[in-house]
Amino acid sequence: MINWWILFYILIFPGFLFCLVAAFLLSGIDRKLVARMQKRIGPPILQNFYDFMKLMGKETIIPHEANRAVFLAAPVVGLLALVTVVLFIPIYRFSAFGGIADVVVILYLLTVPAVALIVGGAASGSPYAGVGISREMVAVLSYELPLVMVLLAIGKKVGLALGENAVTFSMANIAAYQNLFGPLIAKWSMIPAALAMLLVIPCEVGCHPFDVAEAETEICEGPLVEYSGAPLGIFKLNYYLKMFVMTALFTALFLGGRGTGYIALDALVFFLCCVCVTAVSMSLVRAVTARLKVEQVFKFYWTVVAGLALISLVLAWFGL
Amino acid sequence: MMFERLIPHCPVLAVMTLFLGAFLTAIFGRSKAARRILLMLASLLSSFFMALLVKPVFFDGQIISYWMGNWAPRAGYAIGIGFEVDGLSLFFALLVSLTVLLSNLYSLRYIERDDCGDYYCTLALMLGGSVLSLVQTGDIFTMFVMIEIMTFACVALTAFRKRSEGALEAAFKYLIVGCIGSSLVLTGVILLYAQCHTLNMAQLSALLAGNLTPATVFAFALLLTGFGVKSYAVPFHFVAADAYMAAPSSVSMLFSGMVNKAGVYGVIRLCYIIMQSMRLPALQTLLVTLGTLSMFVGVTMALRQHDFKRLLAFHSISQIGYVLTALGLCTALGIAGGLYHAMNHTLFKGLLFLCAGAVWYAAGTTDLDRMGGLSKRMPQTCAIFLIAAFSISGLPPFNGFVSKWIIYQATFEKAAEGGGFGYIVVTVVALVTSVMTLASFIKVAQSVFFGQERPELAHVREVPLSMRIPMWILAVLCVVTGVAPGLVLTYVVAPATYAVTNVTGYINTMMGAGYAESVMTVPAQSIPVDASFAGYYSPVSWLILFAVLLLAFALVALLGKGSRGAVCQDDTGCDDKYAVFFGGERVTRSTVAGSDLFWGFRYNFRHYFRWMGNVHSGVVNDYAAWAVGAGAVIILYLYALL
Repeated sequence: MINWWILFYILIFPGFLFCLVAAFLLSGIDRKLVARMQKRIGPPILQNFYDFMKLMGKETIIPHEANRAVFLAAPVVGLLALVTVVLFIPIYRFSAFGGIADVVVILYLLTVPAVALIVGGAASGSPYAGVGISREMVAVLSYELPLVMVLLAIGKKVGLALGENAVTFSMANIAAYQNLFGPLIAKWSMIPAALAMLLVIPCEVGCHPFDVAEAETEICEGPLVEYSGAPLGIFKLNYYLKMFVMTALFTALFLGGRGTGYIALDALVFFLCCVCVTAVSMSLVRAVTARLKVEQVFKFYWTVVAGLALISLVLAWFGL
Repeated sequence: MMFERLIPHCPVLAVMTLFLGAFLTAIFGRSKAARRILLMLASLLSSFFMALLVKPVFFDGQIISYWMGNWAPRAGYAIGIGFEVDGLSLFFALLVSLTVLLSNLYSLRYIERDDCGDYYCTLALMLGGSVLSLVQTGDIFTMFVMIEIMTFACVALTAFRKRSEGALEAAFKYLIVGCIGSSLVLTGVILLYAQCHTLNMAQLSALLAGNLTPATVFAFALLLTGFGVKSYAVPFHFVAADAYMAAPSSVSMLFSGMVNKAGVYGVIRLCYIIMQSMRLPALQTLLVTLGTLSMFVGVTMALRQHDFKRLLAFHSISQIGYVLTALGLCTALGIAGGLYHAMNHTLFKGLLFLCAGAVWYAAGTTDLDRMGGLSKRMPQTCAIFLIAAFSISGLPPFNGFVSKWIIYQATFEKAAEGGGFGYIVVTVVALVTSVMTLASFIKVAQSVFFGQERPELAHVREVPLSMRIPMWILAVLCVVTGVAPGLVLTYVVAPATYAVTNVTGYINTMMGAGYAESVMTVPAQSIPVDASFAGYYSPVSWLILFAVLLLAFALVALLGKGSRGAVCQDDTGCDDKYAVFFGGERVTRSTVAGSDLFWGFRYNFRHYFRWMGNVHSGVVNDYAAWAVGAGAVIILYLYALL
């Protein structure tokens, strides 16, 4: 027996349709915010959507050197991994796949889009892409350490409070904890972890000042240099989706709570939280900084950001 | 069933067919056809005998025992040599059988251009027989003998391509360090015999329970170091890199698929069953520390390599680190995760070595800086390589993900259950190691299969079918064990996990019912095994993923359809639109060599890498010193804390 709700979850809410709408809106708002911060007018909110539709209709050019199958499959694999992540993120009391949602699954699924970008770039056979993918991989290495530590800190904190197993890897438990005790960001011992997570978001998404992999001015968008038409459109879409997924993850981890019980209202509040997180972690940072060098990115994440996460981890360890 | 009466004889028959095959190929191996037939016949028969044991041991929970010459124990003393196959032995024995079978099938074509093919067959069967016997024997001296046969077969096989650069040197290093390990094991066995007047492992286990005297602790430390050397954990790993690189790929697969598993098996058998001392926190700390060091050192050294096989060798060390860490936790979840990962490592690492072999066979080199763009020439090898690379990096839904997930759960829970903050560090290292593993396989993918095509590799063609079949079998197994973890856990890993904790059953099967209870001063403390660990990994989520993947293929098909008109199929009549963008120049070579890919990472770790480079000096004296020194530290540590 197929449970038809699963199809609804995957295709409509919180799957494809909801994701895409949220991603386009969120990235549009982000562009508008950055523009206002820089005293520009900025594009309309739906500009990314128009761009995407236009790209879908353009010719797809596959270079001679490219491996056709991998070149075309890579963006789609990335897209699917991102949508799957959203299915695992609880929206207040609602969660599409309750008990099985797990932090480690999310962690690994989040590396899949990066791998898709890397493999797609590699398959294109361009030397610019070669430089780009090496930088993307270093970026992944950079943010993974603090991200892991943030998740472990939360796991310890929540596990101790709920007391059943003393640690937890379960998103459902993290949501349940915030349902009972209020959002995690309000716990002072978790504030460094929240800061670390806010800094992880732009690197994971790949926007300024951590967009070393795509660096348009140096290496012509790195892995994307050979892409055109629909595959390029899907990679752009992946970028917007990553924005939504990462901010949604932050919201679920730190800004959870009781919710209202009405799914539509909850989803709206959830989305507004995502907008706020975007404004703080991406738009603001993007508007006021310039790109770092790749070794600076690595050093920053393994010292400053990992240090912040470590503070929370140690505090959580001592039951604070 | 006609096989009912055969079952008790299966363990010894499986070993005998391999050894017999070795002797027969030595006599009749001059003819190419004869040695090929003998090689395949021996490995097929041996695998068949092992497969017969699956039902009684895994499904019915029996322990099969076999006394050579029917020398069963008299008056409570086991004088004869016995084979004893419990779930743990069978688990490793099946891995050995599978590895031997596939490696031999692969080698039929792979070594056809080398001379002395008959020596290869003899040695490969010898190696297979020795490891198969090692994991099934119930006699600790037989175990030592098999380690010796294994070591010397390994040395000879490492030097098989004796004219290629570094092969003899690697074999020599392997010989020196391998002999140190064997001597330690022998000394440990002698000490145990002097103390307990028996060599039977079941009887030793009964006599040693709760009896850790200074002499037995010394023996324990020696044996542990000896098996550590055989499993190539850090700091015994130095020779592994040279040997794996110099040996033919089918042999490297044997090394990483079963030779280092033999060391892991030895550690489990010794710590959990013979000595029954895994409950001591000091021992747990020791194993977890060795494992974590292996993980980190292995993977960082791998990031530095620019030879395909040498890189894989360092990953073997790193993955064995995962296994040792998980086993050192001494929780049911940890043991299950460790065993699962050991199995997965055999599958995906064997596959990766076969891919390296295929690349060598087709392109004539394994140097990452001298390859590129092979994915169009060898599409199947490329697809298989990607499956293996994603498996070892632990991406869902491949098998590495399942076992790594269980290991993270186990270490994190251990941290919470009084393990201390150190286990949090272990969890973080394990997770970060996984990403670095991914990074180094991205490097391989970019420099071997993707990137720009080299003009000198234009002649490369896909490898023959008999080489692709074993690769596809392993690739399918990687996916199956990734998407059906519930089945694998219930039917394969759980019986093995149970066997690790079932000390009393192990003793009584061999020595007669009631022996354990009458001799042991301290009752065997078993670790509670509940089925709950199977629930950590729910296959329901993967059904969802499959639905999503189905959509994916539909989308790809649509995309492919839309763009077909735009693709230029051949070189004639194409304009610059379809050429790769080079910023104005017509054709430029990419200047990013494989070893320079992660410059940003290596720059920040330059001091560490310089230090590591000095430690891996290539001088066998240093390597021997590390092995002996580490052995001394382990002896002192166990004396101080046990």
